[in-house]
Amino acid sequence: MSKIVVLGAGIGGHVAAAHLRRKLPKDHEVLVVSPNRNYQWVPSNIWVGIGRMKPKDVFFPLEPVYRKKGIGYKQAKAVSFHPEGDASQNKPYVLVEYVFGEKAGIQEKVTYDFLINATGPKLAFELTEGLKPGTNKAFSVCTYDHAEQASTGLNALVERIKKSNSRAKILIGTGHAKATCQGAAFEYILNVERELVRLGVRDKVEITWISNEYTLGDFGMDGMLLTYGNSTLKSSDMVEMIFRDRGIKWILGAGVFKMEDGKAHYENLEGEYKTEEFDFAMLIPAFSGHGFKAFDKDNKDITEKLFKGFMIVDADYTAKPYEEWTVQDWPETYQNPSYPNIFAPGIAFAPPHAISKPRKSKNGTDIFPSPPRTGMPSGITAKLVADNIIDAIKQGNMTLNHKGSLGNMGAACIASAGYGTTSGSGISMTTYPIVPNYNKYKNTGGRDLKKTFGDIGLAGHWLKLTLHYAFLYKAKMKPFWWLIPE
Amino acid sequence: MRQEISESQRLRMQNPFIQIFKYIYLSLKILKIVAGGHGGTRKVIANPRP
Repeated sequence: MSKIVVLGAGIGGHVAAAHLRRKLPKDHEVLVVSPNRNYQWVPSNIWVGIGRMKPKDVFFPLEPVYRKKGIGYKQAKAVSFHPEGDASQNKPYVLVEYVFGEKAGIQEKVTYDFLINATGPKLAFELTEGLKPGTNKAFSVCTYDHAEQASTGLNALVERIKKSNSRAKILIGTGHAKATCQGAAFEYILNVERELVRLGVRDKVEITWISNEYTLGDFGMDGMLLTYGNSTLKSSDMVEMIFRDRGIKWILGAGVFKMEDGKAHYENLEGEYKTEEFDFAMLIPAFSGHGFKAFDKDNKDITEKLFKGFMIVDADYTAKPYEEWTVQDWPETYQNPSYPNIFAPGIAFAPPHAISKPRKSKNGTDIFPSPPRTGMPSGITAKLVADNIIDAIKQGNMTLNHKGSLGNMGAACIASAGYGTTSGSGISMTTYPIVPNYNKYKNTGGRDLKKTFGDIGLAGHWLKLTLHYAFLYKAKMKPFWWLIPE
Repeated sequence: MRQEISESQRLRMQNPFIQIFKYIYLSLKILKIVAGGHGGTRKVIANPRP
């Protein structure tokens, strides 16, 4: 009988645990270890951030669902990895520390036969001086509680404008020179703009996009060429068209390094140090690994075998210039090469390199987006990892038949551009593949134009809302949940 | 040439009747792309990008 431990209960960890439990007989144990009590549907946090959804609309408690489905659950955080066990424990284990209830602070060795590390990113606010949600007039929408705080801040600003008839400045984008997740900030800026129109104060507010992208619409994916109606359009032109239409200004190639009360200090690619003032800001922080340590049987530090910031998997980590990057550098099975019973799908794996072209400022500062790994690829990679483990358990050997490189996978991004049943809007985009394959699609920027398209309109809002309800239904593992694709 | 959203495009984008059909079309198109399978890449001979 096998024991599979899943670290993390975000989209990746939850999807892996759900599929493992559904497909494995009950005599195999599936255990989720997560410091979070709740599952949150992160893509809807932007609606919490404008007050059009409540936090309770985007999360549900994990423990009752896991209890009902026969999935073990410990509300604890991983402390260290021991893939060979130690002097007193023969089996590999993860040292975890409970974070809630009577056991809070107590550490425990959680043994495993297979380990799925789906711990996602650490929101590294500390890498930007003064960037902390709810301070210096700056907010985040990375979690539902951050988003609720942002909504309160935005409402306070609107009230102030209405009372004093004064003007205000809003700054939204990335809060670090190598931040990613531009898509979330893009959705938020468009939703904030629509809300200001709805509340009748749009003419009093200057809205500015600030980003480490070299061009608009880069999204950490080197931008894309896409089909739009009957024409072909660069994503940069599409985003510029939308920003111009909404009267949104932009600052590009900006590495925000310091925040003060109502001030964002940044360096640009020209090497200039500038300051942008604001009355309300939402800036996405840098993401980092969790700083886990790993030890062998003799308690010797073997962290470099497991981690390179995030977890090392079957990628080609050889350092090489941008011109030599290929899709073959990207992992296919998310298996750690040193310990074949450890996997890291979703955001937990170390990418071989960025996707966007690396750029340095004249002062030598790296200013470019890190690669994005959003919910859909997280779900797909988690499911294929679960399927490979299921095969290994049932067949008795590791065949790794299930593969999914980001260079051979499509992604959909339904970016909300305003909330409302008939007044809402959304930008529906698909990209195939996520990591551009410049050899296969030579003349179309590495993407298949039949599968890479964009569309703007009310239908996009309905689609985003449909995904919200469908994926929460799926995450709650209600009847036939597995029919909904990742 | 700079792209702009024309007034007629804007009307189409927010017309609920047109958008119902768009919603069905987009749902099917996106489903086909994202659920259309995925796989590895390493059977392809790796060449540096041009």
